[in-house]
Amino acid sequence: MTDVPLISPPRVLLGLLLRIRAKAFMNSFRQAIDQGPLRLTATVVLVAIVWFGLYGLFWLVFDQFKRTPLEATVAMPLVFNFFFVAILVMLTFSNAIIAYGALYTRKEAPYLLTLPATTLDVVSLKYLESLGLASWSLILLGIPLMLAIADQTEDTVFYFLFIAFFLAFIPIPGGLGLLLAWLAARYFPRRWTKGATWIGGVTVAVFVVWGLRGLQLGESATETWLRSFLERMSFVESAFLPNYWVATGIDHALQQKFGVAALYLGVTIANALFLSWLAVTVVSAGHARAYDRACSFNDGVYRVPSSSAGGLVGGLFFWLPHALRLMAAKDLRSFLRDPTQWSQLVILFGLLALYLTNMPTLRLHFGGTGWFLIIPFLNLCAVSLILATFTCRFVYPLPSMEGHTLWLISLLPTPLSRLLIAKFVFAMIVTSGVGLSAMLLASWMLDLEPLWAVTHLVVTAAICFVLCALAIGLGARFPIFKEPNAARIANGIGGTVNLLISVAVLAALLSIVGVATWHSRNAPSTYGPSYSALLLCGCAAILAILIGLAALRIGARHFDHIQP
Amino acid sequence: MNGNGHPAIDLHGVSKSFGKHVAVRDLTLRVNRGELFAFLGPNGAGKTTTIRMIVGLLRPDAGTVTVCGHAIGLNGTHAKAQLAYVPDQPFLYDKLTGREFLYFVAEMYGISTERRDRILAELSRRLQLGGFLNQLTESYSHGMKQRVVLAAALLHQPTVLVVDEPMVGLDPRTIREVKDLFIEHAKNGGTVFMSTHTLDIAEAVSTRIGIIHQGELIAMGTLDDLRTQASRQHSLEEIFLQLTETNDD
Repeated sequence: MTDVPLISPPRVLLGLLLRIRAKAFMNSFRQAIDQGPLRLTATVVLVAIVWFGLYGLFWLVFDQFKRTPLEATVAMPLVFNFFFVAILVMLTFSNAIIAYGALYTRKEAPYLLTLPATTLDVVSLKYLESLGLASWSLILLGIPLMLAIADQTEDTVFYFLFIAFFLAFIPIPGGLGLLLAWLAARYFPRRWTKGATWIGGVTVAVFVVWGLRGLQLGESATETWLRSFLERMSFVESAFLPNYWVATGIDHALQQKFGVAALYLGVTIANALFLSWLAVTVVSAGHARAYDRACSFNDGVYRVPSSSAGGLVGGLFFWLPHALRLMAAKDLRSFLRDPTQWSQLVILFGLLALYLTNMPTLRLHFGGTGWFLIIPFLNLCAVSLILATFTCRFVYPLPSMEGHTLWLISLLPTPLSRLLIAKFVFAMIVTSGVGLSAMLLASWMLDLEPLWAVTHLVVTAAICFVLCALAIGLGARFPIFKEPNAARIANGIGGTVNLLISVAVLAALLSIVGVATWHSRNAPSTYGPSYSALLLCGCAAILAILIGLAALRIGARHFDHIQP
Repeated sequence: MNGNGHPAIDLHGVSKSFGKHVAVRDLTLRVNRGELFAFLGPNGAGKTTTIRMIVGLLRPDAGTVTVCGHAIGLNGTHAKAQLAYVPDQPFLYDKLTGREFLYFVAEMYGISTERRDRILAELSRRLQLGGFLNQLTESYSHGMKQRVVLAAALLHQPTVLVVDEPMVGLDPRTIREVKDLFIEHAKNGGTVFMSTHTLDIAEAVSTRIGIIHQGELIAMGTLDDLRTQASRQHSLEEIFLQLTETNDD
């Protein structure tokens, strides 16, 4: 035993930590090739198909824009601004949740901190890790979008420029997310009731303010509504916001003003680097106190009363068989006791509520302008995308979350696939409850002709079915039983495959409904859908159900053969 | 900066609360070099919280913690260099082999390749790691993981070894080997701070025993001291049950 250990730890260990991550990734990749080359190939092919499908879809959209240059000049910067502000919000929360789990609840960070790694090393590692995990599926979706825009130009430099814009933007929500995670660990109220009051209070306040402002517009004409709406949303075009730098840069590049575009790219990169440095420095300096405080959440102070979950399940699922009801109660209870889960749900549905309260109330007639059908169709698209976000993030991890209890459940005298049915029913009730309510409210606000409203509701129910079935089926087909963090499960390879397939299926179904809408656009607003339109929508609903059943079958067959 | 002359572990007036729950209350404890200290207590008594404060993961609300005379903290390099920690739930990277993990830890401490290989060969022999060191750790049993984590902790030859429930999941032969390793470590001037529920192991190997209950140190000393305190000439198990039961009343 030497009194002074013969060691000399390197001053900066981040390189070593990243190297070990790369080694683990390579081992994982080799294992995937050895154990399931077909599965890996099928996943890559599927991702490639969906990727090129998305690229084609975006290309068509921008090609359409190109044919109407006047509208494109007005709409393009606005569309980009909204697109990047949406990504900013989503990625900020996604990064915050992953960074919170990685820094304050998982075992790796404390273990590394007992080794010679400093908080700066560990926080830097976790920042890069959460950035990658939270953003890679959006990067996968965003790159075909950027390439499709670049394709509308005639210079290959645009490909690199637009991808550079997209990648330079990503660390900004990453840094904000890291700071948010630290603030939540450091200052979020410890007691459940207090925390829920805070979140509920802020959500209600935002909802009330925006709702009132939305209602003030009342039954205004489309043009007035549009002008007022754009006026209210003009804050997203503030020069201080990162989405403005990216959107303006892309817009200038499209106008061949490379100097200005390069300036905005430089501004984006500089801010991304500064924010990353600031976030990592602040969070690593305050890590000890935040970790200390987060430990008191983990030590059981933070609890939801069990009676509320039981009562809720009893009320919602009274008609289910006893065994399924018990499983639904377990899922709901686990969900309500995990603040990182339900807080995301509050944010998602808060966004849905904001969207609904800011919709135009088109009770005036528009004759044959086609808007009376196109706006409800666009609304159906928006609600469907929000529901897809919900199922990909919250429903997909449900089968994997059974990992630790699978040995127990497999001892029960029922096949494991029954567990999937319970989860599917649970997800379907929640998703369709939200989706149908939103569509019903929207149909009423838009004064949609009753048969069209019923048609949209049927299509929404079918979309809820297929999204839930895909999430449960693929979640059971590609489970990650060892991962306790739902956000990481949703961001894994299987989760990304589910996201891409969900988006592709939605694109196919909504295209069919879109064709039906397009053909009916010149009919007077008092007319219901034609037989061909009804037939097309019916086909879309049947297709959704068939795809959903196939996904559930694939998942159930795989689940029944799992050896816990 | 080797900390000679200072106690290996020194906790003075340490308290730690989580919200309204007091996990550790005014704990003063000194463990010297060459000691194998067993830290006992019922579930939820405050053992793991104390250990996490010793290794710097948690900050005490009051009081001070030093290891070999160095203040502990997340960035306390001097203290960390002399300390190793084996948590109750061993952490390993699933997609690394045991060997890759051990090489990673050695590199973290800046241990030379030659020295690493020499120490690893010895640890591998004693902890019987040879059979599985080249497999991915995701295939390991709890006991195999525990052995690899223990080897990782001993790689840099720390002065102070802090272990939380070290014997859980180990087979009898490895338990014997781990006990011998701990005893040898203490004999060579090192310190072992061991939290355990396995009272016969504590009785067999420890030089001193501390019992914590509801966040307070209710007894400390050699086995004979505890027997005197409990007015019983019986096993550690009976003494432990009596002391913790009395305190409940």
